[in-house]
Amino acid sequence: MSARRIVFTSGKGGVGKTTTTANVGAALAKSGKRVVLVDADIGLRNLDLVLGVEKRIVFDLVEVVEGRCQLRQALIKDKRLENLSILPAAQTRDKTAISEAQMAGVMEQLSALCDYVLIDCPAGIEHGFRNALAGASEAIVVTTPEVSAIRDADRVIGKLHERGMPVRLIINRIRPEMVRSGDMLAVDDVTEILAAELLGIVPDDEEVIDTTNKGEPVALVPDSRLAAIYAKIARRLEGELVPFTVLSAPSFLERLFRKAG
Amino acid sequence: MINEVVQDEVPATGTVRRPRGRAIVVTSGKGGVGKTTTTANIGTALAVLGNTVVMVDADVGLRNLDIVLGLEARVRHHVLDVLEGKSTIEDALVSDKRVPKLRLLAAAQTREKDDVDTAAFRDLIGSLRDRFDFVLIDCPAGIEKGFVNAIAGADEAIVVCTPEVSAVRDADRVVGLLGDDRTVQLIVNRLRPALVRKGKMLSVEDVNDILHLPLLGVIAEAPDVIVSTNRGQPVALDPASEVGEAYRTIARRITGQDTAAPEIPREKTLFGKLFGGRS
Repeated sequence: MSARRIVFTSGKGGVGKTTTTANVGAALAKSGKRVVLVDADIGLRNLDLVLGVEKRIVFDLVEVVEGRCQLRQALIKDKRLENLSILPAAQTRDKTAISEAQMAGVMEQLSALCDYVLIDCPAGIEHGFRNALAGASEAIVVTTPEVSAIRDADRVIGKLHERGMPVRLIINRIRPEMVRSGDMLAVDDVTEILAAELLGIVPDDEEVIDTTNKGEPVALVPDSRLAAIYAKIARRLEGELVPFTVLSAPSFLERLFRKAG
Repeated sequence: MINEVVQDEVPATGTVRRPRGRAIVVTSGKGGVGKTTTTANIGTALAVLGNTVVMVDADVGLRNLDIVLGLEARVRHHVLDVLEGKSTIEDALVSDKRVPKLRLLAAAQTREKDDVDTAAFRDLIGSLRDRFDFVLIDCPAGIEKGFVNAIAGADEAIVVCTPEVSAVRDADRVVGLLGDDRTVQLIVNRLRPALVRKGKMLSVEDVNDILHLPLLGVIAEAPDVIVSTNRGQPVALDPASEVGEAYRTIARRITGQDTAAPEIPREKTLFGKLFGGRS
């Protein structure tokens, strides 16, 4: 059995690639899948922080490529889920430290060890982007409903199509009240422009800031609204037909109530 | 007539003896922290103060500064056209719609960062410094070739950082790469005072405990920034906007007109929200 290898990419930075990779991975692992998360952002790694394992890093992706350690030695097990692991990026090297062929080789090795390899791509479309794509067979494009993010996502989708890679879309940080007031693009606008299959819609939520700072993926927080959304994304990845949650703007009373509660 | 205005306000090389302009790169490491928005707003505010300003989009392949300024339909030539001799600098400069002394030099959208020769880009920034008071360079995310190009011609840097652990870590790495030869200042962007109070967001102090940089300004998270970006109208032009005023203050601090320590946005009380208006 060989794992599915999915790259999370966006073009524009800061739209939530790392957070999405961590949470989709955590949701898949929670449902029993064996998942390895790979940080391809050599020099600017952050996936380790989002998962709270930054102090446990001994070896990294570049050291695996250079044969300084075994692949299994570089994998760090998640604190909460034993079937979730991360392969961290090197922090003090740059993206040219590894080639596309070397990256593809490591992803191939990883896919013998698990059900899903999720690759967190760096921002931009330079060498690091090409490396991150090298070992992947499918792509999830993360975007936010902003003109600049959509333009960059469009450019990236073009590059993914050139490689014949299947593309699905997660629209992140939707603010229903801003969509309603006409100050933010709606989901339909985004999917129409990008013409890609929709995998998930994730609302903007302060909880992400807090859980990210704490190094705990929100997908693992019990009773969290976002955890339910990431769980649905995981089921869709597994091929299940799961209806999309209709995001409505909370009314004034709901907001008061939520603040009070 | 437009040409006359350009001639008048932006002298070509050698026509007027003037001190060289300042070249400032706006960078961050992490993407999406607000580099482009910061560049657009500081550039606009500096031009409103009476300075000649050119903003250079160094994000070849993923340009966005033109969108944030609402100038995307007016771009005819780009940086690579200039570097490859297909266009003069004058022809490639796009005049801003609203602010007379403001120009944009757009990035190429269908090319790669590897196509840009670092030395040639540095020289281009040098010749822009001969014509403008300020050259603001909008750096791409990351620390690859695009970053190396963007910082090459700049003798000053503004590091934009949001109060998040990952952004601080990336900013710290970038400060190291910028080296000791450049003046480096910090803008903390998208601060949410209410979250800081609840202990759910890093404070400006927390950020600067790690980065140890001179603080140029602090910008609060505000929905009007998203709206202004989508509409292509920098918030620095909105006299009623608090964030706009924060950018105008930063511009005055850059020129030395304002020497007070940067103000840290405070949490609004419900009373202030209801009755404080937007002052």
